[in-house]
Amino acid sequence: MSKHDKKQCPQNPNRRRFMQFSAAMGAALGSGIGAPAFAAEKIGYPEKQQLTFGFIKLTDMAPLAIAYEKGYFEDEGLFVTLKAQSNWKVLLDGVVSGSLDGAHMLAGQPLAATIGYGTKAHIVTPYSMDLNGNAITVSNEVWKQMKTLVPHENGRPVHPIDADAMAPVVEQYKKQGKAFRMGMVFPVSTHNYYLRYWLAAGNLNPGFYNPLKGDVSGQLDAQVLLSVTPPPQMPSTLQAGTIDGYCVGEPWNEQAVFQGIGVPVIADYEIWKNNPEKVFGMTAEFVHKYPNTAVRVVRALIRAGYWLDEDNGKNRKEAVKILSQPQYVGADAKVIAMSMTGTFEYEKGDIRKAPDFNIFFRDNATYPFYSDAIWFLTQMRRWGQIPKAQTDNWYFNVAKSVYRPDIYRKAAESLIADGMFKPSQFPDFKTETGFKPATDDFIDGITYDGHHPNAYLEQFEIGLKGNETV
Amino acid sequence: MNLKLIFNQESAMETVAQEEMPAESSRAAEQAHLLMSQVSIDFPTPKGSFRALDKIDLNIQRGEFVSLIGHSGCGKSTVLNIVAGLYQPTEGGVILDGREVTEPGPERAVVFQNHSLLPWLTAYENVALAVKQVFKGKKSKAEMREWIEHNLRLVHMDHAMHKRPDEISGGMKQRVGIARALAMEPTVMLMDEPFGALDALTRAHLQDSLMEIQRELKNTVIMITHDVDEAVLLSDRIVMMTNGPAATVGEVLDIDLPRPRDRLTMADDAQYNHLRHEVLKFLYEKQRKDET
Amino acid sequence: MKTLSLKWPSPSGSSASKPSPVSTLINRLMRGLGLPVLGIGAFLLIWSVAASHINTALGKFPGPVAVGQQIVNMYEQYQHAEAKRARFYQRQEKINAQRVAQDPSYKPRIFPYTGPPTFIDRIKTSLITVLSGFLLASLIAIPVGIVLGLSASMYAMANPIIQLFKPVSPLAWLPLVTLVIAAVYTHVNPLFPKAYVVSMITVMLCALWPTIVNTAIGVASIPQDLRNVSKVLRLGWFTYVRKIVLPSSLPMMFAGLRLSLSISWMVLIAAEMLAQNPGLGMFVWDEFQNGSSQSLSRIMVAVIVIGLIGYLLDRTMLLLQRLISWDKKAVLR
Repeated sequence: MSKHDKKQCPQNPNRRRFMQFSAAMGAALGSGIGAPAFAAEKIGYPEKQQLTFGFIKLTDMAPLAIAYEKGYFEDEGLFVTLKAQSNWKVLLDGVVSGSLDGAHMLAGQPLAATIGYGTKAHIVTPYSMDLNGNAITVSNEVWKQMKTLVPHENGRPVHPIDADAMAPVVEQYKKQGKAFRMGMVFPVSTHNYYLRYWLAAGNLNPGFYNPLKGDVSGQLDAQVLLSVTPPPQMPSTLQAGTIDGYCVGEPWNEQAVFQGIGVPVIADYEIWKNNPEKVFGMTAEFVHKYPNTAVRVVRALIRAGYWLDEDNGKNRKEAVKILSQPQYVGADAKVIAMSMTGTFEYEKGDIRKAPDFNIFFRDNATYPFYSDAIWFLTQMRRWGQIPKAQTDNWYFNVAKSVYRPDIYRKAAESLIADGMFKPSQFPDFKTETGFKPATDDFIDGITYDGHHPNAYLEQFEIGLKGNETV
Repeated sequence: MNLKLIFNQESAMETVAQEEMPAESSRAAEQAHLLMSQVSIDFPTPKGSFRALDKIDLNIQRGEFVSLIGHSGCGKSTVLNIVAGLYQPTEGGVILDGREVTEPGPERAVVFQNHSLLPWLTAYENVALAVKQVFKGKKSKAEMREWIEHNLRLVHMDHAMHKRPDEISGGMKQRVGIARALAMEPTVMLMDEPFGALDALTRAHLQDSLMEIQRELKNTVIMITHDVDEAVLLSDRIVMMTNGPAATVGEVLDIDLPRPRDRLTMADDAQYNHLRHEVLKFLYEKQRKDET
Repeated sequence: MKTLSLKWPSPSGSSASKPSPVSTLINRLMRGLGLPVLGIGAFLLIWSVAASHINTALGKFPGPVAVGQQIVNMYEQYQHAEAKRARFYQRQEKINAQRVAQDPSYKPRIFPYTGPPTFIDRIKTSLITVLSGFLLASLIAIPVGIVLGLSASMYAMANPIIQLFKPVSPLAWLPLVTLVIAAVYTHVNPLFPKAYVVSMITVMLCALWPTIVNTAIGVASIPQDLRNVSKVLRLGWFTYVRKIVLPSSLPMMFAGLRLSLSISWMVLIAAEMLAQNPGLGMFVWDEFQNGSSQSLSRIMVAVIVIGLIGYLLDRTMLLLQRLISWDKKAVLR
């Protein structure tokens, strides 16, 4: 399929099948909660009070830091220790082995772990930590060449900048016999998918994975070679010339600007408006064994997310101060502040308004939508991490086993019952299906409808679809 | 080794004696206190085996004080080490009170040339190590303490018995070494140049002490020395060894000077000087060694 | 700098012209205090001049003044953290009291502080890790060294292995240790955190060798006379080891232990960085990752503290060695 198929027929058989599925699921959720939405059941005491959560030094770990610093965890009877992890693999291993009870995770991590790509473990997410928050940065050298190809208005480049502008640079590298390399933070990271999306939208092939043949480097047929670098090491790796650009969360793009070693060219919400970013992950075993604890953790996180977005971000300055402490993100407050307080600096001096750079609560940012899970699964399929075709139902089932809006709903309803939140601050749980409406807010204008993952994949020129294999 | 059998049964002894030993030495074996018979030793070297000692025969009576004298390198210490059981002879063997010597043991106490005290133990503790080992189960704790102190008194070391070796002089260390050997109540005391490293005055003192102790205890003593005066003054017999390789007993000189002996009177004693002369003649005429 | 080259009296004071008591005193003061101070002063000068010329991505390299300020700064942070810790326990009591009021069956527990470790906590963690690794290494290395020292053939057998592993960097061991520990040490709530075990084992693996080698050499070089004494006394094997081998090889053993301890300390910092054991090594790593404008001076503070602790550890070993050693005349420095 190509772009003209974007408008799907509503009577599509897939659609009908899905409606049956979601109705059944809704019934299952409802039975656990009790029919009237506001007569929330009282949440029992936490079964496990002493908890350790892992995080990576990124500004979007903020809900954890705020829940800790503002005492929201303690309000739930939870004594939480927050531990910075050196990289995403260590963090995931910590959660799988049980040395971490939960963690700030890449959205792809619980999904990949559950389907057994990389470490196999059933991990669930009852809480989505934020929307947006990433950007793509290239080295000064690459930017100098790109800049000439980008249209300007009032002396400033017109945004969003397409990867097309980078294609000649990549071509030139190829002529010189050099590889064009970019860093991302983890094979199943949102960064990997957004970076690939952006490159592919600009007709640059980021390469394929083929786990069936043991290829997990994701560089088959690649024009741009992507590799893993832990977030805090991105600027220094760029400076060392090991990579020519990267996609990472904050503050590591602004750090490059601050240190004068690179230029951010695009923020991820320009690739996909209000894309889901980090999630809070726990093992399925944990939420099964300690159901009250899981709900209480989500309660604390909801309050933290709300605090971060409260009154158009009036608390953001305080959040920046908290995050700049060494045990959290640790970067200078002014670097963290750049993206956290509604602005984003691209080329040095080119500071633009970016109110949506980090969304922690509004627009239902914290609700774990099945459709978000399915989007990540489609990207895993697109780039070969899921090497064989899967039915739409498979996508739905994986999403259902990993994303746990039922836990979120319990937490939210108890917060409403406690008078701390209004129902309007959450999705309407009576009608909520877990699917966001179809959207074409992507840089290439392709429409995504979570109900039709396979049909969605058909629309891409670069990428696996149907029964294709690498 | 030729002497494979242990001589604790008369019949066995006789068999061996008839088969392998000359009649003379077989009789000697029966009666002897300490008998070295046809003792030879070879040491392996890169150029093949080297015969250090060749067919040494020596018969020592109980309570006898025997000195071994010879040029350095002639194998005196090797003889002593064989008696001590630290070396095994290649041929021949040593019999002490009817038993063949096959390994070291406290009944053949050794006074080493450089005292060999354990430097981390006091004089008392050094002697105690030996006493506890030898009299384990035979003496009570109090008896042991008394015995240790007695032996230290014997060598005039009671005033410094709680000092460590590095806190006392060389002579005192050697006294402690002697006390340690005496405290084992040895059948034979083996002394390897015990006073060699001491100055002349200290040496004289120690020799006097040794004579005094010997008069009282009447131990069997084999002492190595290259000091002619020391040998004549202390010994009942002097065994003079030929130069190596294949060193052996050259001459044996009986010292029939009356005891107690006094070094001052001896200096003018004609017999003493004659004996002294005999030893010197052996060493510097018959077994002259060219130091190159 | 004339003073440096001219007067350097020997300890026995055998200089031809008899120095007056005053000038000897001055000389001694100069040597004991003046010269070290002069050296430190020169170092600080070179440091500050060099630092002002080094520009990093995180700003200028911190000079002595910046580091001094950072020490004050970190001390304030430490006090702040301690106050926070105290408040945490107070709050916990309140939370417990509230809960007991609502839920009488609840048996209150006091949970340990959940905040980040303070710098002092990190020092403690590092010391516990290094000492336990070192102790474990010593418990293995001393008996092994004794056995190897007693038997020339055992030594010949083990020597190639020792020589092979001795120069291996902790960074090479660490991934192996991490994976093995992950496979073997699988309690959900382990008594010791994995990061601690991994760092400790890595330290142990690097600290083994000097003690083994030195103990073996010490044991093998027991004077023949002492061995003969033992033979004449017919000492049993254990008595021989206890009464003669151990004391005799003690000086060499201690030389090995001292080497092992200083290696342990160096290895620890690297191991903690990678294993994420919350000690000083992880502090350095975290600050490197943070990349804030304070990071460099905070790392410099850690560097100074690491050096100081390493020095103190070595001095402590030396003191212990002096206390235990029978050879009081041996020059130990």
